[in-house]
Amino acid sequence: MKKVGILIVIISLLSTMALRSHAEGLESSDSSEYLIKAGFIYNFAKLVEWPTTAFAQADSPIVIGILGDDPFGATLDRIVADKKINGRGFAVKRLKWTKELKDLRDCNILFVSSSEKEHMDGVVDAIKWLPILTIGDVPGFARRGGIMNFTLEDNKIRFEVNVEAAKHADLTISSRLLTLARIVQQVAADGRKPE
Amino acid sequence: MNLKNLSIKRKLMLITMLTSGVAVVLSSAGFLIYDLISFRHSLSQDLVTQADIIGYNSAAAMAFKDESAATVTLSALQAKEDIVLAVLYTRDGKIFAQYSHPNSPRPSVSLAAEARGYRFEGSYLEVFRDVTLNGEPVGTLFLQSDMRQWNSRAKRYATIFLSFVLISGFFALLVSSKLQKLISGPILHLEDTMRMVSATKSYEVRATKFYGDEIGRLIDGFNTMLAEIQQRDTALHHANDELKTRTLELEGEIVRRKEMQKELLNAKHAAEDANRAKSAFLANMSHELRTPLNAIIGYSEMLEEETHELGKVENVKDLQKIQGAGKHLLSLINDVLDLSKIEAGRMGLHLEAFDITQMIDEMVSTLHPAISKNANTIQVHLANDLGVMRADITKVRQILFNLLSNASKFTDHGTITLDVDKSTEEGKDWIKFRIADTGIGITAKQKANLFQEFTQADVSIARKYGGTGLGLAISYRYVRLMNGRISVESEPAHGSVFTVHIPSRVTADVTEAAQTDKAGGSPAGAAATKSDVDTVLVIDDDSTVRDLMSRFLTRLGFNVVAASSGEEGLRLARQVNPLVVTLDVIMPDCDGWAVLNKLKADPELSKIPVIMVTVVDNESMGFELGASHYLIKPVDRDRLAVLIEKHRAARSSAATDAEVLAPSIRRDPSSKKEKGRLKGTLPRTMN
Repeated sequence: MKKVGILIVIISLLSTMALRSHAEGLESSDSSEYLIKAGFIYNFAKLVEWPTTAFAQADSPIVIGILGDDPFGATLDRIVADKKINGRGFAVKRLKWTKELKDLRDCNILFVSSSEKEHMDGVVDAIKWLPILTIGDVPGFARRGGIMNFTLEDNKIRFEVNVEAAKHADLTISSRLLTLARIVQQVAADGRKPE
Repeated sequence: MNLKNLSIKRKLMLITMLTSGVAVVLSSAGFLIYDLISFRHSLSQDLVTQADIIGYNSAAAMAFKDESAATVTLSALQAKEDIVLAVLYTRDGKIFAQYSHPNSPRPSVSLAAEARGYRFEGSYLEVFRDVTLNGEPVGTLFLQSDMRQWNSRAKRYATIFLSFVLISGFFALLVSSKLQKLISGPILHLEDTMRMVSATKSYEVRATKFYGDEIGRLIDGFNTMLAEIQQRDTALHHANDELKTRTLELEGEIVRRKEMQKELLNAKHAAEDANRAKSAFLANMSHELRTPLNAIIGYSEMLEEETHELGKVENVKDLQKIQGAGKHLLSLINDVLDLSKIEAGRMGLHLEAFDITQMIDEMVSTLHPAISKNANTIQVHLANDLGVMRADITKVRQILFNLLSNASKFTDHGTITLDVDKSTEEGKDWIKFRIADTGIGITAKQKANLFQEFTQADVSIARKYGGTGLGLAISYRYVRLMNGRISVESEPAHGSVFTVHIPSRVTADVTEAAQTDKAGGSPAGAAATKSDVDTVLVIDDDSTVRDLMSRFLTRLGFNVVAASSGEEGLRLARQVNPLVVTLDVIMPDCDGWAVLNKLKADPELSKIPVIMVTVVDNESMGFELGASHYLIKPVDRDRLAVLIEKHRAARSSAATDAEVLAPSIRRDPSSKKEKGRLKGTLPRTMN
């Protein structure tokens, strides 16, 4: 009797643990995607060169702007905290789409969240010719004039680079980065939908 | 194969080869090892560089987790054949991407957290490098090389090395086989020369000198040695030839010597014959001389006595001169005979034990008249325990007589001392006789020849004192005969001291005959009592002797029976049973020896003492045959009287107490021989 009682207790314990771990797995897979993406963003900063005019001072931080819903939570802030690239630190800002474009233009890296699909062309237009690395989390963003865009291939996070757009933005992307990216062409120079 | 017994040629080549081989091997091995080590180092540097490049190229792929891109990057290593494995590890140690050479096995490698830099693991070179992106580590790259460049290089080097060694060895062989002749050539030549010399024994060969080095000097030395040997050889040959010549000469010499020896031998035989003739002549002469002297002395003594009784004093002196001259002549003859006997080595020793004290007493009493002649006195000191000595009593007595009579002869109104003592020297007992006088003495010069025959201290002495000059010579020889010694000390005008040492037990190497102790046949045995008057039987073929003896003995109170031949003597002996028999030797028909033999063979007569009275000087024969005493003619009548009186006394006491007397007489060993020496000594002392 006693044994049966213990067995029941163990089984119930094991099952609760299994359930919990499953729940965590789901949660982590979700958050691990943006953990990787946050790491990617940080790594992009290493392999991209900004023109000197992009920063006010030699030690001005690289400002990362998150446009739209923030999928990173605190992850991105944590990753770039205390990091320096070529003597520059990082600063993370969260932005909303408005007609006030000044905030956008202050960024060095602009992450366009998937929630901003509607304003994709507007963003591109707004910062055209400016040395701002745009990274989209929106399918087709690079083709529409964005410089980089996250994609998912075989369940792996990859990215696209619009070399033309980078050139326009006066950004130099390392060949080491380019070899890993898929190079895409701009479909419509004006960002017009090819309909 | 024993390396030590190789020929010089081979040794030289071997040495050259080994030396050059070691040099080549060491230098090339050193170079190669250095090269291989530095090559390995550069190889590792290359690999590190390679890893850096690969790491750089794959850093972004790692950063963006692009495994396929990383794999592509790694697969670029296909061009590098030596890299068999390349692995990229993420920061948490998981394999991110890897490449392995198609032909190589895949070693399992796990990332060691601390492993950085390069290491040689077995035959592989391994490198761990951090992969960084803009200075930030993103992972680790592992590269493994099988170092095939190094291996092939080592192989190539080994081939080169081997062929290099072989080629250089070949050339070294070529060169050394040519060069070794420089050294081995002269040595072999020297060896050939030596072999030739020892084979042919010809020392004219010379070795050729090639160079002025040590071997050249060796050859010089060898040649010098050869020259020396040649020289000696020649000298040896010469010496040999000379030796042969000398040997021949020597052989000739030996033949000559042998001939000479033969001649000498013949001469010696001739000399010996002559000597024998001389001895025979001397013996005959002595006999012939003694017989007339016997008559002269005997009758002159008788005449003297009778004349004295008649009161014709003036004639007595003349008769005494005749007597003296006769006795002197007799002593001369005796001395000459004694000496010749000694010289001929025919003088033997009659060893017997005798009482020294008794011998001295008798002698001194006999000598008394001679000593008192020059108004001398004699002092005799005898040690207490002298006892008995064993020697030839006759010769001892003669020695002492000679010395004592000499002492009295050369001393006037002085004292003559005789000391007799015992001593022990060199483990032997000696009897020491010391005769001292206070006479004229002897000079040192005279002393030198003192014991030589016919030598007196001075020629003039003979004239003044008389004497034959033979006394000391004879005494000296007698002493030597008994292994004794005689010495003299003297101071002219103060006297002389003669010292004689004679062993208390003389051992004779020349003993003429066995000792004759005929005490058993002594008068003591003549206990027969046939006549109350003591009869003396005189057996002599010479009527003069018979006449003289009869007259002399009758005067002494004996009844004398004379026989003119041996036969008659034997017959008379049985008839009268005499107290004593006096027996001559040389008689016609039956001589004295035969008579003596028969007397002693007859049990009735054998106890009668026999006194030999003869000119034949052969005491030992007499004693051998059983004679009691031996007197030599001319007879010393006093001596004869003493002997016969002794026997008379013995017989009379023996009649009553024979048992007691017999041993005492036996103890007196001198009794039977006393007269033996008196023949010579007395006349001499009378001179």
